[in-house]
Amino acid sequence: MNVTLSPHAGPVTAPAAGTRMRTWHPAAWIVWSSLAGLCAFVTTDPVYLLLLWAVAWFVYTAHRVSEPTAASFRMFLIAGVVTLVLRTTLVVFGTIDLSSTVYAALEGLRLATILVIFGTFNAVTDPFGVVRLAPRRFHEPALAAALALSIAPRVVSAVHRVREAQRLRGIRVAPLRSLPALAVPVLETGMEEALTLAESMDARGHGRGRRSRYRPHPWTGATVSVVVAASGAFGVFLSASVAGWAELHPPTAPLGWPEVHPVLVAAVALLALPGLLGPDGAGVPRAVVPRSGTPRSARGAAAEDGR
Amino acid sequence: MSGAVGSMRAGVAAHPRPVRTRGAVRTVVLVVMNVAGLAAFLWPFALPALTGDGRADGPIVLVVLVGSLGALLFLELGRGGLGAKTVALLGVLGAAVVALRLPGFVAGFSALFIPVLVGGNAFGPSFGFLLGAIGMFASGLFVGGLGPWLPFQMVAVGWVGAGAGLLPRGPSTSWRVRIGALAAYGFVAGYAYGGVMNLWSWPFVASGSAIGWDASGAAGDNLRRYASYYAATSFVWDTFRAIGNAALVVVLGRPLLGALDRAARRMHLELDAEPFERNGGERRASERTGA
Amino acid sequence: MTQALRYDRVTYRFPDASARALVDVDVAIEHGAFALAIGPTGAGKSTLLRAANGLVPHFSGGSFSGHVYADGRDTRTHAPRDLADAVAFVPQDAAASFVVDRVEDELAYGMENLGVDPRHMRRRVEEVLDLLDLAHLRDRSVRRISGGERQRVAIAAALAAGPRILVLDEPTSQLDPQGAEHVMAAFQRLVHDHGVTVLLAEHRLERVAGWVDLALGVDAGRVVVGAPADVIRALAAGPPVARLGRLVGWEPVPLTVRDARARARTQATPTVAARNSHPVAVGEPLLTARDVTVRYGDVDVLRAVDLDVRQGEVVAAMGRNGAGKTTLLRTLAGLRPIARGAVTTLAGTAPRPGVDVALCPQEAERVLFRDTVTDEVGATLRARAASDAAAPWLERLGIVDLAARHPRDVSAGQRLLVATAAIAATGAPVILLDEPTRGLDPECKDRLVRFLRSHAAAGGGAVVATHDVELAAAVATRTVMLAGGEVIADGEPASVLGDSHVFAPQMTRVFGAGWLTPEQVAEALA
Repeated sequence: MNVTLSPHAGPVTAPAAGTRMRTWHPAAWIVWSSLAGLCAFVTTDPVYLLLLWAVAWFVYTAHRVSEPTAASFRMFLIAGVVTLVLRTTLVVFGTIDLSSTVYAALEGLRLATILVIFGTFNAVTDPFGVVRLAPRRFHEPALAAALALSIAPRVVSAVHRVREAQRLRGIRVAPLRSLPALAVPVLETGMEEALTLAESMDARGHGRGRRSRYRPHPWTGATVSVVVAASGAFGVFLSASVAGWAELHPPTAPLGWPEVHPVLVAAVALLALPGLLGPDGAGVPRAVVPRSGTPRSARGAAAEDGR
Repeated sequence: MSGAVGSMRAGVAAHPRPVRTRGAVRTVVLVVMNVAGLAAFLWPFALPALTGDGRADGPIVLVVLVGSLGALLFLELGRGGLGAKTVALLGVLGAAVVALRLPGFVAGFSALFIPVLVGGNAFGPSFGFLLGAIGMFASGLFVGGLGPWLPFQMVAVGWVGAGAGLLPRGPSTSWRVRIGALAAYGFVAGYAYGGVMNLWSWPFVASGSAIGWDASGAAGDNLRRYASYYAATSFVWDTFRAIGNAALVVVLGRPLLGALDRAARRMHLELDAEPFERNGGERRASERTGA
Repeated sequence: MTQALRYDRVTYRFPDASARALVDVDVAIEHGAFALAIGPTGAGKSTLLRAANGLVPHFSGGSFSGHVYADGRDTRTHAPRDLADAVAFVPQDAAASFVVDRVEDELAYGMENLGVDPRHMRRRVEEVLDLLDLAHLRDRSVRRISGGERQRVAIAAALAAGPRILVLDEPTSQLDPQGAEHVMAAFQRLVHDHGVTVLLAEHRLERVAGWVDLALGVDAGRVVVGAPADVIRALAAGPPVARLGRLVGWEPVPLTVRDARARARTQATPTVAARNSHPVAVGEPLLTARDVTVRYGDVDVLRAVDLDVRQGEVVAAMGRNGAGKTTLLRTLAGLRPIARGAVTTLAGTAPRPGVDVALCPQEAERVLFRDTVTDEVGATLRARAASDAAAPWLERLGIVDLAARHPRDVSAGQRLLVATAAIAATGAPVILLDEPTRGLDPECKDRLVRFLRSHAAAGGGAVVATHDVELAAAVATRTVMLAGGEVIADGEPASVLGDSHVFAPQMTRVFGAGWLTPEQVAEALA
């Protein structure tokens, strides 16, 4: 059910701008959440999965930016629980016995864990920072996305203003038939603004083909070490999954206790590193890489996630 | 493809106006990319016949799939040379998609397809795809809904927008035909989007149950299983969307398309007419320096 | 050496238009000039400005003959983006021109496109932040700052790329008098210290005429260039002091308060006895606000406000940006929950929006949604099931000639009149107008003033929130001054405005408290 897999959470206010320099490099978060999500994806062992929940919560509490993002995390948490329940109830479409119920519940727990990890990602990253990661080739679509993010609150307030102004004219926008009184002014105004915007962009040199970047997000020791740690953790899970040196799926037919391998537990613990370092990356030297350019490895990582 | 894009980019750098790839080449590339994209959704029906393998492959397959859809987006979005007008229009209409995806905003059901439908119909299939994809990306960022489903959403809504651009449009089409076709399309797209979006997660979400993916089953069997899964989970929900789309197009389609057509004229979007008159002096090649 | 801007026999027609927007324009502006384009709405000022960097015709289409050279480069062969390093353009609607969300990044956007070296970019950004006093806003979202701040950010963003020519369409329309002066001073510094060429269009000449050294008079697409005094005289336009000069036959026509004061010294000062403000027949209070306090979160945005709006009154609500003018109007219209106190109508009930009170919000043109002006007013009439026709309302606002036009295709000032007609057609006795000044040229302003006067004379009441001092001087029968959500002065315009350094109209500055409009002074001098 798509409603559970894409939680529609969030306030009507704009995502907080101006937090760019205080938060971590968004590419580090993309790497961390993708790899943590993949770790969850290759296992149905409830011990590792619940440990990942704990890690996600720990990282979230250490890095959350402001109230709106907390709401987003809560939505993911709720979506995770709902998914777990729904997945388990899908059993009714087959033979209902303890074994298949446990199997379904573990599958659900795996999906829920992935949701919670992405909940952390959404709660700790600055959306404009994510858009700014786009390599030069994607400059234009990324700019369009950034504009959409930035203009959306204006659309919402325009709708409220127009609705109110029409009410002052005695035109109620409640019935479907009078919806044009609301939608047309909002769109017409939007189109006029689009023309102004396009003129402004062109007059300021958009599309000249040469671009430099103003104050790109710095890579710090902390963010680099998180990328390394997350890669290590996923490497461990991947090798267990491929080479089979540890059991990642507890037996469900017949039922058995899940296995707990200390190396895999340690790998999950590695993923908690961002929570230990905190938003300032305490004690780790800043600016390992000069701020004039994003390192190739990071750009590659970002592109990989976009795939 | 990368060669074609590369030469196009070089063209942009050398000359202020973007040079367009040849229409035919572009069409072929578009078709290939979109078939590849469709395959990413439809693999559960084909794969068992190819490998006959079981459960452990699922995760790896998903990674490959997200990757291939990402490649489709990569090529579609990375074509470059959109120009300020298109970017500004995408930004403004994308903002409408974002606003309409906010919970509880405007009516009970999600109306986010309306800007994609009218935007695609007014400005064409390519714009429609970009609007759908960028609108979903931005709204995902805005509401904090980024996850592995994002590429699937971007492509699926992008297709909805592209399809709207393939419907009858242009000045010779009567309003009755244009609105009728768009409303019918919006109705169908309401179901199609739901059907496609459930498809990508179905093998992982419902495996092991009677309506779940059977990794070793025949295509026909899996189709039946999927139909029951869809009926059980998504059909009612999608019906609201289909009716909502059609109703909104009927009520709003004409005034909104009228506004977009007017904007297209005001923004002078078709640049075939040369605004400069020759009588004021000939262009001189020597003046082109200094750009 | 090349000129900053040269229009070489430019004639231009918009697509689908029958009349030419520019007719054989032959104008040169030297480097380092501070030039002002003046003329009525629709005369072609915006078109003239947009042609400077090729937005006309590269963006607008149409048919263009002749050449425009910006810093020596022909706009035929250079699109606006190719001129971005030479010409910066700031549109009227600053808020819609923002590309990036954060103030600091917005300033850098143009330089990023030009491929400016990152370190140099950083230095330029810091410089313009200081020049326009924006350093405290650097981390804010451009969507969450005030209108005046937005206008300054748009100007800073244009300046950051280091253009030699700066073109601005009504750069002070969102600013209060102090803000406008601050911005004009910044332009002058650029012109004097850095040799930048500034070309701007502005309706409120009282704010700009004293600063510029060259004027372009635009009328029906034709352009004359000259000293500001000559051009203003030729166009029969100008700030209130110029209007007075023409009324009483002063030669040359004064442009600034200083000129007028020097001239007035040689003249008999008008006698106090001759002061003759509009006689006001004030009737019953249509709206009564008593001890009204409105909160936004923990902040009192209005505090213990007492205010009456009586029959026959036009009240001007004035004050700095952010003083609480908009909140006052919304509260009077019954849109804001009141924390303490009450607003009541003549009947003693709370005002019903659209019935007892009609509010024309800021950017009122945003309510327009029909295809013709007549239909737009008709939509209001139909909504209240009124049987009267739209035509009388068009007549009251002086827009009969626009009846069949698309409301979005008329000038900004005319749109405001259309929106006012559409909202006034509710028939509400009290009309509230919030900042009706954007794009409002003298002609439209006169029509608005006439409408408000006749509405009041017919037993209605009105409140106009504005920071346009001269509009207040022309229309108000009473003036309320707001600061920090409190009413700090309430009384006759002559006494309230005469008391103020910032909000004194030009006639007050020249002749002392009590004198508000040129007509009034001319009558006394005659």
